[in-house]
Amino acid sequence: MVSASLTTYAAPPQPAGAWRNRLPLLLAMLLLAFSCLSVDAQQGGPAPVTERSVKAAFLYKFLGYMEFPVEPGPSLVVGVLGADDVAAELAQITNGRNVGSRSISVRKLSDGDALNGLALLFIGADAALPAASLRAAEKNGTVTVTEQDNGLQIGSVINFRLVDERVRFEVSLPAAERCNVRLSSRLLSVAYHVQKGGQ
Amino acid sequence: MTRKPVPLMLLALLSMAPGARAAGAPDGDIADLTLEQLNEIVVTSVSRQEEKLGNAAASLYVISATDIRRSGARSLPEALRLAPNLEVARVDARNYAISARGFNNPFANKLLVLIDGRSVYSPFFSAVFWDAQSVVMEDIERIEVISGPGSTIWGVNAVNGVINIITRNAKDSQGALLSVAASSGEGDASLRFGGKLSSNGYYRAYAQAMAAQDTDNEQGANTFTGMQRRQAGFRADWDLEGGSIALSGDAYQANLGQFNTRDIRLSGANMVGRYMRQLADGNDLRLQLVLDHTERNQPNAYVDRLDTAELEGQHDIRLGSHKLSWGGGYRYSRDDNSPGPGFGFWPYQRSMHWGNLFAQDEIALTPSLRATGGVKVEHNTYTGAEVLPTLRLAWSPDGKQTVWGALSRTVRAPSRTDRDFVLPPAPVMIGGQPRFTVGTSPDFDSEVAKVLELGYRAQPAHNWSYAVTAWYSEYDKLRTLEPNTTPGPYRGVLEFRNLAEGRTRGIEFWARWQPILRWRLNAGLVVQDIDTSLKPGSKDATAAGLVINDPSSYWQLRSSHELSEHVQLDWTLRYNGSMPKPYVPSYHELDANLVWNVRPNINVALAGENLLHARHAEWGAYPGRSVFERRAVLKLTMRY
Repeated sequence: MVSASLTTYAAPPQPAGAWRNRLPLLLAMLLLAFSCLSVDAQQGGPAPVTERSVKAAFLYKFLGYMEFPVEPGPSLVVGVLGADDVAAELAQITNGRNVGSRSISVRKLSDGDALNGLALLFIGADAALPAASLRAAEKNGTVTVTEQDNGLQIGSVINFRLVDERVRFEVSLPAAERCNVRLSSRLLSVAYHVQKGGQ
Repeated sequence: MTRKPVPLMLLALLSMAPGARAAGAPDGDIADLTLEQLNEIVVTSVSRQEEKLGNAAASLYVISATDIRRSGARSLPEALRLAPNLEVARVDARNYAISARGFNNPFANKLLVLIDGRSVYSPFFSAVFWDAQSVVMEDIERIEVISGPGSTIWGVNAVNGVINIITRNAKDSQGALLSVAASSGEGDASLRFGGKLSSNGYYRAYAQAMAAQDTDNEQGANTFTGMQRRQAGFRADWDLEGGSIALSGDAYQANLGQFNTRDIRLSGANMVGRYMRQLADGNDLRLQLVLDHTERNQPNAYVDRLDTAELEGQHDIRLGSHKLSWGGGYRYSRDDNSPGPGFGFWPYQRSMHWGNLFAQDEIALTPSLRATGGVKVEHNTYTGAEVLPTLRLAWSPDGKQTVWGALSRTVRAPSRTDRDFVLPPAPVMIGGQPRFTVGTSPDFDSEVAKVLELGYRAQPAHNWSYAVTAWYSEYDKLRTLEPNTTPGPYRGVLEFRNLAEGRTRGIEFWARWQPILRWRLNAGLVVQDIDTSLKPGSKDATAAGLVINDPSSYWQLRSSHELSEHVQLDWTLRYNGSMPKPYVPSYHELDANLVWNVRPNINVALAGENLLHARHAEWGAYPGRSVFERRAVLKLTMRY
């Protein structure tokens, strides 16, 4: 152990020639060029999908598998707090789409904005006080969706997680009961984890 | 020159990789997919985790699970090469020197490492035995690498950095996983199975084995540093309403080669229980119990058994604009060392206690300006109470950028190696008083560092971000080996003292750029000046006391590229500057990993390691040091 650091200092071996120092740079440039070329060559392939667009698509889909306690009126309002990119994506997806006969409107929210009149609230990772927003939403009977490790523990109904590079969601039945929303069995069967009550 | 064609040939092969496409990615509108289809889409993105970290007033880099998988790293030290703020040097077949901000050494003693909250920094040895640490690489959630002091939260020894290895919740690792990797000289296999328990509980259990052949030294002679390790373990997680429980455990056994003796034998087992509760809005409680046993039987050196029990708790409270954290912990270790013929530890057995209390307050002075002040007081067996304060300020004018600064005082507390090391192991009696040649070292005190950091982090657009940190640290009371001038019982001719000081400064920089969704580039650079000097009166003449050997710069460039829907190519070009004592030449190396997702649940990876040179050295004195050869690694991963 300590003896291993009592090493004797040998004379430095001869450093290699100068050409060798240039090789890595040359190689890096080659690799970069290769990457650019192959990127160019496959613009026609299927486009990769971002986390935010999958989350936005899920949020839109969720609306179709929920029965809300009170008649929400002609339009379903989805609030998005602390995730401006998801809000933009969701607005684009839902533009011109309906859930049943209802249109969808997306409200981009900032910390401190009022949370009333929402059917669904997505609380993104950038929200400053997710637990406070969850409580406020629960009082209004709004269904909440989060994207954090302990999302269900702090009271959200649905929580997104990234598992094996896929967006998965988990559902809390006690939280759904608290805001009187009925979730369809289809939604529950796709959820990768359903937290049941009685704890 | 003959070395050139290999990477080029690899590139040529890659350019012929099939541009296969199949179901999975949507051709039409994503909103037209079913829930089930959305569930199966593999996403490519700038991780939200990184964006969230934009707020931290520290030099923090996160290695994601995706980064690890795509790099092809098959051990913790190799995965740590992905962090631009770490110096990683492979010493031989099983040993690594890993540090941040200088003072790198196979026995680097200023970097704290935790696996799921369990410290693997040895209080016996004041270093991390990397040969005894392993996790299933596929079950890592992320690795957080903090360069710079983290003592106010993590306690003594988090002087130059903290590495937090965080494994996945058991509910995120369900089903069966088999991974097998083989190359000339190394191989490993892991088998894991995850399932459900009653009452919202999940578990996983795993077994793994690895073997690494002896490396050769510069003259082609065997270094006898190969190893084999077997390990098994589990983790269970329960979701409670408003809380969670996690329980995990591991047990391992390893044989390490050593010249002209039988193998060094390692074994160990540990258990971690953690309870987390969300008490109310922003009020969290965390309690953790750790039990740990390690045993190291090294012929001609010692047999060391170390048992540790640790209980700690943390409570976070939100009060208006304040975010208050406070907590405490107690740790007990008993070290039982049977010395070999060469050296030992006196007394042979020692019980050690650590107790700590800490409090930290983060105040939002304005909506964009946050100040954090905190202090931890940690008591240890050797030096009593150590005070570990920090003061941090972070200004985030628009959510896309953060300027931060920090002042910290941190210490490395003595371990048995510093205080109790003796040579020879049994004292010579002189006048009825025991005498050693080296040790004991009761005068050895804690090493102290005062650190100033300034950082800037920005994400000008959603697809690119960068971070720059500048630091200046003053070290005092660094370890030296001195003639003993104050006789007393059990005292030797030489002893460890604290007669050196140091100043280090440097800049850490990293950036990520994702020009298109298919292609992501990461770059990292550290330029540093690590300067130490002996104080007047010091007669340290060996490398056992004050040990430093750091490059003045190191950098990496990493590309992650989706060649097609099923084929990914990652490569990393890295540079390490030369090191002076002992001299190690600078080197460039290139690693590449090609992953082919044969089916959604099966992938085959072909990695090329050290592609630029037939062999290179990363640590140690010529000609005895190990060299690492260019080689290919084939890996198969299956999930069910």
